[in-house]
Amino acid sequence: MARLAGRAMVVVVLAGGAVVMILPFYWMLVTAVSPAPEITAFPPRWVPSRIVWDHFREAWTTAPWPVYYKNSAVVAVVSVGCSMFFGLFAGYAFAVYSFPLQTPLFLLILGTLMVPVQVTSVALYVLLARWGLVDTYTGILAPNLASAFAVFLIRQAIRSIPIDLVDAARMDGAGEVRIVLGIVAPLIKPVLAAVAMILFLNSWNDFLWPVIVINSEHMRTLPVGIALFKDPYGFINYGPLMAATVIAVAPMLAAYALSQRFMIRGVALTGMK
Amino acid sequence: MGRPPWWGVLLVLLLLVAGLPGAFAQPKTTITIWYPAGDITASAFHFRDPTLFLPFEVAHNVKVEPVALVYDTMQQKIFAAAAARDVADILFVDQSWVPGFLKEDMLEPVDPAKARRWLDSVSPEMVELSDYGGGKMFGYPQYGIDVYGITWNKAHFREAGLDPERPPQTWDELRDYAKRLTVRDAAGNITRVGYAIRHVGHPHGVVHKHLWAIWAAGADLVDNPLALKGGQPKFNNPAGRAALKLVHDMIYVDRSTSLAFPDPRAAFLRGIASMQISETVSIRARQPREAPGMPWGTGWGTALPPVPKAGMRPVTNLNAWMYTVPRQARNKELAWRLIEWVNSEIKDYELAKRFEATPRFKANWAKEPFKSDSYAQTLLKMYPYGRKYPINLGLNGIMDALGAAIQNAWHNRMSIEEALALADRQARQAILDAAK
Amino acid sequence: MTLPSSPAGRLAPRLSRGATPGAGGGVSRVLRRAYRRHYFHAYLFVAPVLIAFGLFRVWPAVQTLYFSLFKVELLRGQLTFVGLQNFADLVGDAIFRQAFVNTVIYAAVIVPVAAGLGLGLAVLCHEPFRGREVLKAIYFAPMVTSTVAAAMVWWWLYNPQYGLFNVFLRLLHLPTSSWLLSSTMALPSIILFSVWKTLGYNMVIYLAGLQGVPQEFYEVATLDGAGAWQRFWRITLPLLAPVTAFILIYNGIFAFQVFDQVFVLTGGGPANSTNVVVLELYRQAFQRYRFGYASAQAMVLFLLILGITLLQFRVSRRYEVTY
Repeated sequence: MARLAGRAMVVVVLAGGAVVMILPFYWMLVTAVSPAPEITAFPPRWVPSRIVWDHFREAWTTAPWPVYYKNSAVVAVVSVGCSMFFGLFAGYAFAVYSFPLQTPLFLLILGTLMVPVQVTSVALYVLLARWGLVDTYTGILAPNLASAFAVFLIRQAIRSIPIDLVDAARMDGAGEVRIVLGIVAPLIKPVLAAVAMILFLNSWNDFLWPVIVINSEHMRTLPVGIALFKDPYGFINYGPLMAATVIAVAPMLAAYALSQRFMIRGVALTGMK
Repeated sequence: MGRPPWWGVLLVLLLLVAGLPGAFAQPKTTITIWYPAGDITASAFHFRDPTLFLPFEVAHNVKVEPVALVYDTMQQKIFAAAAARDVADILFVDQSWVPGFLKEDMLEPVDPAKARRWLDSVSPEMVELSDYGGGKMFGYPQYGIDVYGITWNKAHFREAGLDPERPPQTWDELRDYAKRLTVRDAAGNITRVGYAIRHVGHPHGVVHKHLWAIWAAGADLVDNPLALKGGQPKFNNPAGRAALKLVHDMIYVDRSTSLAFPDPRAAFLRGIASMQISETVSIRARQPREAPGMPWGTGWGTALPPVPKAGMRPVTNLNAWMYTVPRQARNKELAWRLIEWVNSEIKDYELAKRFEATPRFKANWAKEPFKSDSYAQTLLKMYPYGRKYPINLGLNGIMDALGAAIQNAWHNRMSIEEALALADRQARQAILDAAK
Repeated sequence: MTLPSSPAGRLAPRLSRGATPGAGGGVSRVLRRAYRRHYFHAYLFVAPVLIAFGLFRVWPAVQTLYFSLFKVELLRGQLTFVGLQNFADLVGDAIFRQAFVNTVIYAAVIVPVAAGLGLGLAVLCHEPFRGREVLKAIYFAPMVTSTVAAAMVWWWLYNPQYGLFNVFLRLLHLPTSSWLLSSTMALPSIILFSVWKTLGYNMVIYLAGLQGVPQEFYEVATLDGAGAWQRFWRITLPLLAPVTAFILIYNGIFAFQVFDQVFVLTGGGPANSTNVVVLELYRQAFQRYRFGYASAQAMVLFLLILGITLLQFRVSRRYEVTY
């Protein structure tokens, strides 16, 4: 009996916490669709008296959201694509082959985790400026064409699969590339999916490097676009601002709602954030 | 059984990455203009009007592309882009940034003959803003110059039993009025401030919004504001301390202003601040849309900022946004042609009239509607008291230092004395560095 | 084209776990050719990653160290050697010191608080009940949202006049706060946001860790008469120690790199009360245009991260022994 009451208490506490966690999202939505006077009403209106789309209209016309989306998508797809493709082969090489400098090279790759772009941004910027790559897709992508995490996790995954499968394929005369793409990759699909998902999330939400390297409006990614949408001091237009935020986060949240088990498991599996 | 051409896949991917910048390069006949987004300068949103440059575009078969940048990061983007040789052809910049750009030798000078012609035909305050010594110019100031004034809400004045046609003239009056205008809720929280201050964000903005007091008290940013190099900071003195103390007292003694109202103009337009001092042109432009019930004349008024003691000469900021061409621009010639076109006497009249701003050419002041427009005439009377920002090449560093001092003092992180002493040291260093 | 790769292929994985290629003498010509082939493949396969990292990670890292010894004037294309002057300037720079202290405070608060809350939630969430997956998803949701967008929402919540935080205080007839506009409340406000943002991550990692704790331990303990509280302290916490070590260190490394939320919520203000190392570095480089000086600051950040990473090696080695 006491145990049951204890469980009930636990659920109540967790649910209460969840309400607090979700409140910012809820308030974002309410602000985005409330008529302007209700946004600043006191006491607050938890449910708008009617739904208005004015804020969305204003947010949509003030900034080129489709352009931001396109940029974010291009950057995410290319960076995830390259990171996964390169990471798969590098992970395979480190897991299966033995070659001179193997360990130093592997440590070098892992070592880059210690020098994030926060540290190297200045020098990287200078380098890209000399090459005229500032404010280009290549410039945004440069530090994200490969991922040490991807190499590491893929190597771990490949080491855990039975090597006989690879050998059997070699007996059958399959080339190395075919083995990687046709045999190894399908075997570690869950890891690949999880890593790709997290790399995609990171790229999609990346801010520091894009805000440094992007100048023009037509190159802005979503986070940069939304950050620059905010009028630094104005505290009047919260309706359009929240509408803009909804525009920026809605697809990701929708994807999350549809696949949250997969995404959460991916994080638990890889430990990446 | 064909092996997949793995090297081919690799090659294609690499080429794809390498080829991206080329594929998305801009067409060459575009003239780009960078301007600040938002309401920071009222005249900047004119660039959003697609018809603005249309006649020029047609006549010269080019495309003019205005790009909005954020005020707070705009200087940074300009520096960064100039280094990358990827800067806009025209920079529409705050005049108080110009010394910083000059320090890096980044701006093209205006052709001397054209500069002379300009200085001869514009009104005196424009001459003062344009001239960087001996008739040398680095750009053209925009119409509708930023003159700072105190703006007050006449309804609030009436409510508080004050004369709605008479703004505070002295610092004592400012404090007294502000106290009377402040409104609190039952719990004692301020819901409306008598006077709104700016204390966060870009240090230039913080300094700009309080310079009226610093200047009126007799302090200044540097001792010789018209010299490009050298000199000493001139705010770590009794006058500077008095200017910072004025607002400090309003925050902590009178409780007639608050750190919780960070944007004076927005607060004023929203009706949660009764007075504020900043660019009047901004209130003029935003009021019809944001505060339709508070029209110019009957709803709000503007005047010169108050002075420490009755009988002293008022002083206020005179600033402009400038059309400049960076040395790294790609289409310099076309850029200058566009600037000269948009700053011609005819365009000055046309655009100032259309956007309800003040003109620059003497000839245009003699025409309607400016001749008898009460707002324009009010500004014209304020212009002679305007003072422009120093042109010292170390201005950025000086502004940063003083802006930090203002924040440190008002947030009680340091005493006013400590804050100004620290800023004095930093400003000295900035002046020294800039003179190298 | 078919046969030669097979025997070497069978050897290669074993070799990669310790043995030296070619050891043991009688390696046939075919096999040796195969090794060469695999060297070729090995280097080919790691080359793209090495090139990408070499160019855009390692080389800039080396350059950062180099620049930190120079006055860098990018616009004029000039490098002037100044020795350790940049580092000497750092020591006397009150603003950098403030940014450093703020960063350390931020990390010292956010890391244990978010880890503790994450652990608590994970323990409560461990036993199945209806709606558990939904709750988990809700707690994790801030993690998938971009920091910038989420911070935008919180910027609105923190608004002193109309934001929800002050609205609640007003409803309770309590004095309101200026939150992000107060030099004392701004840093705690940012920390609060970050806790909200990272809580779900820690919870998920702890939940994964809890799955590895054998149920029998609890059963035995319960038979011994241990209460829930004791079970937590005696079993859960010690067994989760490696997970905790991972969370603390991993979050610590991220905490020292905090930027996005500070940029959006306060821009480092008011009066530098929320300035952090990465923001200060960003300003020095891209606003003041002092690339050399900013590089010196980047080196300090690197040393911080290096310190934590070395700590990680020590700690994880200890747990390897225990397990």
